Amino acid sequence: MKICAILRLVPDLVEELEVEENEVIPFRYMPNERDEHAVEEALILKEKVGDAEVEVIGIADPDNEADLDEGLGMAAAKGADKLYKVILDRPTFKRAEVAKALAEFLKDKNYDVIFTGIQAIDAFAGNLGGMLACYLEMPYIGGVVEVNSEDGKLDVRKELGGGLLAEYKVPLPAVIGVVSAERPLKFVPFTKLRQAMKKAEIEEVELELPEFEGIEVVKYEVPPEPEITLLEGDVEEIADRLIEVLKEISVL
Amino acid sequence: MEVEEMLETYYERIGEIPESEKFIQCIQCGTCGGSCPYGMGTLFTPRRMILAVRAGIVKEVLDSGAQWLCTSCFTCSLRCPSQIPITDAIIPALRELSLLEGNPPEELAAALMNIARYGNSFRESPRKRDRWIKEVDFDVPVMAKKKSADVLFITECFGAYHRRCKEITKAFAKVMHLLEVDFAILGNEERCIGDLARLSGEFGLFEDLAEKNIRVFEKYEFNRIVTHDAHAYNALIREYPKFGFEKETLHHTQFLYQNLEKLKEMFGKLDYTVTYHDSCYVGRRNGIYEEPREVIKAIPGVKFVEMKRIRENALCCGGGGGGVWLDSFIKEHIKERPAESRVKEAAATGADVLVTACTLDVPMFEDALKVTGLEGELEVKDISELVLEALES
Repeated sequence: MKICAILRLVPDLVEELEVEENEVIPFRYMPNERDEHAVEEALILKEKVGDAEVEVIGIADPDNEADLDEGLGMAAAKGADKLYKVILDRPTFKRAEVAKALAEFLKDKNYDVIFTGIQAIDAFAGNLGGMLACYLEMPYIGGVVEVNSEDGKLDVRKELGGGLLAEYKVPLPAVIGVVSAERPLKFVPFTKLRQAMKKAEIEEVELELPEFEGIEVVKYEVPPEPEITLLEGDVEEIADRLIEVLKEISVL
Repeated sequence: MEVEEMLETYYERIGEIPESEKFIQCIQCGTCGGSCPYGMGTLFTPRRMILAVRAGIVKEVLDSGAQWLCTSCFTCSLRCPSQIPITDAIIPALRELSLLEGNPPEELAAALMNIARYGNSFRESPRKRDRWIKEVDFDVPVMAKKKSADVLFITECFGAYHRRCKEITKAFAKVMHLLEVDFAILGNEERCIGDLARLSGEFGLFEDLAEKNIRVFEKYEFNRIVTHDAHAYNALIREYPKFGFEKETLHHTQFLYQNLEKLKEMFGKLDYTVTYHDSCYVGRRNGIYEEPREVIKAIPGVKFVEMKRIRENALCCGGGGGGVWLDSFIKEHIKERPAESRVKEAAATGADVLVTACTLDVPMFEDALKVTGLEGELEVKDISELVLEALES
């Protein structure tokens, strides 16, 4: 079985973002957490199947590609067989363009399963799985928390919300959107990670993105700070004031 | 990993730690397990761990989670008649196997990954490490500007980022300011000293931190390091010299004691009954018992009372050796956490204030006060906070 997992970078929100009118400049990037779960689930499926290979495809821009090394090294330390660093040459940040170019890159690689995280904190990237499946003409299922292989198909557990899980049979090839791997992310000690990063052979690929017509970014701006009012006084006063406030905002 | 590889890794690691060959002399007396705060809650006490690993039974030990039921309090190591370095060698080497297997308790894994990525366990920006200096009403010099000072004050992660522990940092800095000490901090150039990572079995990360920190120390001129963090103190005096670091390091209790004559002239009166908790890496591990007691007793108006278990026998707060990141794991295995027992002991003395000398103790004990319902009856203060109060009263 040939398995692929997509690893995207997102801004590291531990550091403050610099927001300018025509761009958002993060201090640094980190692997998207949902994609780390996608990589983990890919490796879990490899363990289950036995005869399988996992290829991890990291996506970055020319100015942040170095931030991918840790995530790719982590995947290698956990048992990924092949690593790609796909550097995007893009004039805009439209995710459909990324999905289209990535689909072109993936289409001849004959993957049976393509794992991707279902969300990314920069919000734009959350739809990658569905769009990728569309361009590759494969089925897509998101919200996945467990994957098993059976009779040439995948047995997939999907979270429906409200404590409900559903089981699906998914024909291959398919794109799987992972919400959370079925076990916590495997810990990789510092020395093992550094060794993996040193040893890892990463194939770099530059990908030119097609330009689509569509929504344009007009400008970026920081949302206004929310106004916080502390209600003070004794319990009766606070309760009265709270009722007034709830009426003012039409909750009551 | 197969058992053979695990054993090879384990013996290679303990072989690097002085005196660890003494495990061969284990007489299975059980002193360690009987002394352990978690002895009642673990399947493998240190005695049984040593025996099991010698018999090649290592997976069972790791699967039981016993290696994580250790707060590195050093009681077993101190009492062991064969002087086996259980805390520094046996436990961390077993923990390292868990880390290599990739499945340590989640909170601890997250803390270690944060230290590796950000240089602190709090997942905070390294560029905000010096933010606390903006919250004080005096100037705290930073080495990047000042270049040289008599004292380099190491705040460590808890002292720099933790909401409550920052207050201790501010208090000790204020005491130094009032004493007109020529001091400076590393500010955002400081990163985790790493003792808890070492005791958690993350030896590679500890080595990396030590090497990077020493490179920063070498950029500046100073005569000695002073820190209020007991684990930072321990690593700086016991582990960093192995990486070539040679400067004198003082715990803040020693520093306060050295300045006691001057402090006495400045002390006002406090109306407290005070008891003192011997933190493991101040007392039992590093033998500092008298200095903090002398400082407390020198404050006019303070009535000093001792708890039942003191000095070498003091009970751990449970935060050391990564215990501060293992709270929910430990709670699954034992009914009453050590900090809860300890605050009950402190309250039984009739004291108003429980004084400690390790940044980890304060949040551990304040949490325990809430759990035991003793909140309001007893206050927890670091010794520097008590000293500052006496200076300002």
